[in-house]
Amino acid sequence: MKNLIFILVLSIFSCTKNSSTSSTAGAAAGGEKVLNLVVTADVKGFDPNQASDLYAGNEVARVYEGLLQFHYLKRPYQLEPNLADGMPTVGDGGLSYTFKLKKGVMFHDDACFPNGKGRELTAEDIAYSIKRMGDPKEQSKGWWLIEGKIAGLDDWRKNGNSDYTKEIAGIKVIDKHTIKFTLSRPFPQFLYAFAMPFTYAVAKEAVTKYGKEFVNHPVGTGPFITGKYNQGNQIVYTKNPNYRTVTYPSEGESGDSAKGFLKAAGQKLPLVDKIVVKIMKEEQTRWLNFLKGNLDAMGIPTEQFTNVMVPGKGLSDKFKKMGVMERKSVGLDVTYTAFNHEHELFKNNVKLRQAMSLAQDRDMVNKKFYQGISIPAQSITPPNIAGHIDGFVGQYQNLNIVKAKELLSEAGFPEGKGLPEITLHYTYNTKSRQIAEVFQQNMSKIGVKIKPVGVTWPELMKVVNTKQSMMFSMAWGADYPDAENFLQLLYSKNSAPGANGSNYSDPEYDAMFVKASMMEDSPERTALYEKMYKYVSEKVPWILGFHRVGYGLSHGWFKNYKFTEFNHGVAKYYDIDNAAKGELKTKL
Amino acid sequence: MLQYSIRRLLYIIPVLLGVCFIVFFLFNVVATDPAAQQLGKHATASSIVELRKELGLDRSYFVQYLDIVKSAFTFDFGRSWSSHQKISDILMNKAGASLSLTIPAFIISMFLGISLSLFVAFYRGRLIDYATMLICIAMMSISYLVYIIVFQYVLAYEWGLFEVSGYESGFPAFIPYVALPILISVVTSLGPDIRFFRTIMLDEIYQDYVRTARAKGLSEKVILFKHVLRNALVPIITYIIIQLPFLILGALLLESFFDIPGLGGELLRALNSSDFPVIKAFTVLTAIAYMVFSLVTDIFYALADPRIKLQ
Amino acid sequence: MEKEYSLWADAFRRLAKNKIALVSLVIVIVYAAIALLVTFGLLADDWAQEVGPANVAPAADYLLGTDFLGRDVLKKVIYGTQVAMTVGFFSCAIAIPIGVTLGAIAGYFGGIVDDAIVWFYTTFASIPYLMMIIAIAYVMERGLKTMCIVLGVTSWVGLCRLVRGEVIKHRNRDYVQAVTALGGGHSKKIFTHILPNVFHLVIINASLRFQSAIKSEVILSYLGLGVQNVPSWGKMIDDAKQDLMQDRWWQLVGASFAMFLIVLALNILGDALRDALDPKLKGQES
Repeated sequence: MKNLIFILVLSIFSCTKNSSTSSTAGAAAGGEKVLNLVVTADVKGFDPNQASDLYAGNEVARVYEGLLQFHYLKRPYQLEPNLADGMPTVGDGGLSYTFKLKKGVMFHDDACFPNGKGRELTAEDIAYSIKRMGDPKEQSKGWWLIEGKIAGLDDWRKNGNSDYTKEIAGIKVIDKHTIKFTLSRPFPQFLYAFAMPFTYAVAKEAVTKYGKEFVNHPVGTGPFITGKYNQGNQIVYTKNPNYRTVTYPSEGESGDSAKGFLKAAGQKLPLVDKIVVKIMKEEQTRWLNFLKGNLDAMGIPTEQFTNVMVPGKGLSDKFKKMGVMERKSVGLDVTYTAFNHEHELFKNNVKLRQAMSLAQDRDMVNKKFYQGISIPAQSITPPNIAGHIDGFVGQYQNLNIVKAKELLSEAGFPEGKGLPEITLHYTYNTKSRQIAEVFQQNMSKIGVKIKPVGVTWPELMKVVNTKQSMMFSMAWGADYPDAENFLQLLYSKNSAPGANGSNYSDPEYDAMFVKASMMEDSPERTALYEKMYKYVSEKVPWILGFHRVGYGLSHGWFKNYKFTEFNHGVAKYYDIDNAAKGELKTKL
Repeated sequence: MLQYSIRRLLYIIPVLLGVCFIVFFLFNVVATDPAAQQLGKHATASSIVELRKELGLDRSYFVQYLDIVKSAFTFDFGRSWSSHQKISDILMNKAGASLSLTIPAFIISMFLGISLSLFVAFYRGRLIDYATMLICIAMMSISYLVYIIVFQYVLAYEWGLFEVSGYESGFPAFIPYVALPILISVVTSLGPDIRFFRTIMLDEIYQDYVRTARAKGLSEKVILFKHVLRNALVPIITYIIIQLPFLILGALLLESFFDIPGLGGELLRALNSSDFPVIKAFTVLTAIAYMVFSLVTDIFYALADPRIKLQ
Repeated sequence: MEKEYSLWADAFRRLAKNKIALVSLVIVIVYAAIALLVTFGLLADDWAQEVGPANVAPAADYLLGTDFLGRDVLKKVIYGTQVAMTVGFFSCAIAIPIGVTLGAIAGYFGGIVDDAIVWFYTTFASIPYLMMIIAIAYVMERGLKTMCIVLGVTSWVGLCRLVRGEVIKHRNRDYVQAVTALGGGHSKKIFTHILPNVFHLVIINASLRFQSAIKSEVILSYLGLGVQNVPSWGKMIDDAKQDLMQDRWWQLVGASFAMFLIVLALNILGDALRDALDPKLKGQES
């Protein structure tokens, strides 16, 4: 507590000085609205094809756009057209998707175009961008998304010599503003691909002109423009003056109006003139800058949690007075400690797995490492998507040492006798080591010996991919809001080196998965998802961890800052209230 | 002299080939599969094979080794596997932050080390000498990590005397951020430096010429500053030069604790993500720098001290 | 041969006179004893047990408090002693034979053998030390064994250089020439005649090597390359970064002090040994 006060005193001291200078600067610039955001890791560059991590993805999506996007306010998450003029027409029994493009969408002005003037986006550009994802020379990080799905594209990847002029059956440009995709098999999640940065539209001229340096020369159609990327510690964007007319949504989920998320309804986007994204890897640095008002928003640092939040009551008075607002984020993710089902010990030994799952004290982990706010997972699918059952309590997911011991002896290892030492691989950092130590201690209570081994991410991939690990810790974040994205983690065809690193192989589960993965969104599919949810909870293919919950903070002058799991391209909705900023900054 | 220098310069070639071999062996032969790492959670067996081909990892080991050798001699290390940025650009971008920390730290600790060791050499054998030496040994007996953790917590976090962490590029914006790391760096290097310099000075003090000077009636101060220091400078400067190449690498731990975006942090990142081209560039460049600087040291030694013959 | 005996006897006499050095020696012996007791399961074997609530400050029941899992910090410190001493001992046991053998061979034979060995260690020395450690640790499975090997194989170059230099000096001395005249073979000359004369360097080097290995353990643990499922001082210091934020200082203090004492003792001992054994410095400071 003392520390915090001290920091606050310091920041007040330094801010009174800062704010006077910055407000005059703001006035001089005619009340320019500047958004100050932070990114917590190095940004790898601006090639949509390589935007596999959240950080690069967010930056790419300020400059580039896709055919579709998620509705900013509506929940559950819902796709809406972005570059497309309306949602596509689906035909051929779910195998073909025809998109109409908006007319008059212009690329940013750039030296790669004749006279440096951006030209209009056409269906050819969309076709080019998708082909580029399949080009083996590009090694797009998003290839998995469309692999084996678009008719003829896989063949082109293998035998096409990266010749973009070759016809591909599944990608047909009908006219300047119409494109038709044909799938080789039903894939109801196909449309989500068009909201992900991998598929965002790039201009062939830019790729050709800049070659390998394309990664540093963003040329898109998006609401913001930035110059050459120079890997510095900040990226500055300015408003795209030629941005087509796009307006702020006028409807959202219930409660949005009360929170003020609808006040900007109908206004032309983007709302701010400039975005400054600072790269700050250390939480402490971000925190001090947030307190000084140099950043508009950030997550609450772990060590500060008790200072900022009063249990059960929300923000502490001190922060309320500063005009700070909190927002809760329930992650579309799941953490887990997987068994390697190809290891003799765990193969078909459901009772051993259940026993170990029952011995893990997740409440303790939650309290010690997640401030007690994360949601202990009862099964694989996270809350807020179809297929998750609210209020479901798993039979084997909650601490019960007595039952754990019973099941362990039924499994043939009374008091752990006869069990070998079990190696647990995890990605090393101090916190995950401590979590592994908690697991080790919990398992020792029923006589199971665990040997935690902390390794780097590449090493973890190696032991998992080569099936050498006995157990390993991982987390999965949703690529798109569909339970399929989680359920596929246990599908036997996805075994290592695929996403099913635990090599779980269960014909009954597989049959359900195959059936569900062909189904369009429907009550029947949700019912099947829920059946699988319960099935996973009972079979314990993994020891489940958490659906992680976090809290973000934002200053009072930062408007329209609604939590979304799919952050791509949302900066255009953000707004800065300069009057409020001038006033609130004096209170910091 | 010239002949010797040329010969030593040529000697870099076999050593560099050896360095390349070790790097090659560690990272191309026995290390983890970078393709699987890059593809991450969506890897499939076929995509791994394809990416390995794209990265050139399917070629024979000999060709892969030659690749490293080629890049070592042309200084063209290609692009990072993880960010697809040119490695020369990455190094250029990160070097500034590293040097803004290591150079001042180095200069300050050398200055302090030499002055303090002169001081204790002057009072050699007295209580103050013993006390200083004991403090030096005690300071050397505390873990580097403990210094970082305690200084960062107490001086920056509790007392607010310094920035806790972070960095801003450009002079003088970076000064508040590097002040504490520099202090830690100086404090930790003072112990070994003073001990080393003192030994050198005592070595000189017991030389015959000092006895002669003393016999001639020169004051102890004159002897110390004029004769001893001048002669001791030769090994001291040697010691300094040989440390220079490692300044470029930065202070890995300091950079990671204080979040300074330097080369040390970049190296850690590369190691943690199997970014082999970056790792190779780092290793080879430091090795070259190390060899060049040791050559410089030897030549300097020979120039400064005519008793040493180079052969 | 008499000459060497008198050197060693003289050295021991000098050492015995140095009170601080003697205390240091006792400390080293005590630490070694603790390490042995731990190794045979006689001490701190139950370090993993929960002895009380989590994060209790030092009190009568737990002299050094408890950690985040309610384990006794004192027991962890004691167990860490075993890890530290093991790392120190085995890294020496690996580095010294390599350094001495290669150094002696290079110095004794000279010519192409010398060139090859010098090339080998120059190559080795030009690769940044930390990079080498990290690379090897990534390649092998994490744990105590790997750490000993890593620290051992990356730290022999200095000693090798030193021994090579000394052996070159001794090679042409009269007593070695005499052995040649008497028909002694190479190995006899190296091992029974030359090496005893450079042995003092090995002793001094060992005490310094030992303490630097203990210090390296901390750094490796911070980087996640240290021991895995047992406590070590490095891991305890690593925990301290978060502990301190909540005003929990006891793990840091416990581990750092345990380490400080042994490293200090080894440093002082190393200095005293140098003074006692290195004839070059003899007489200068008395």
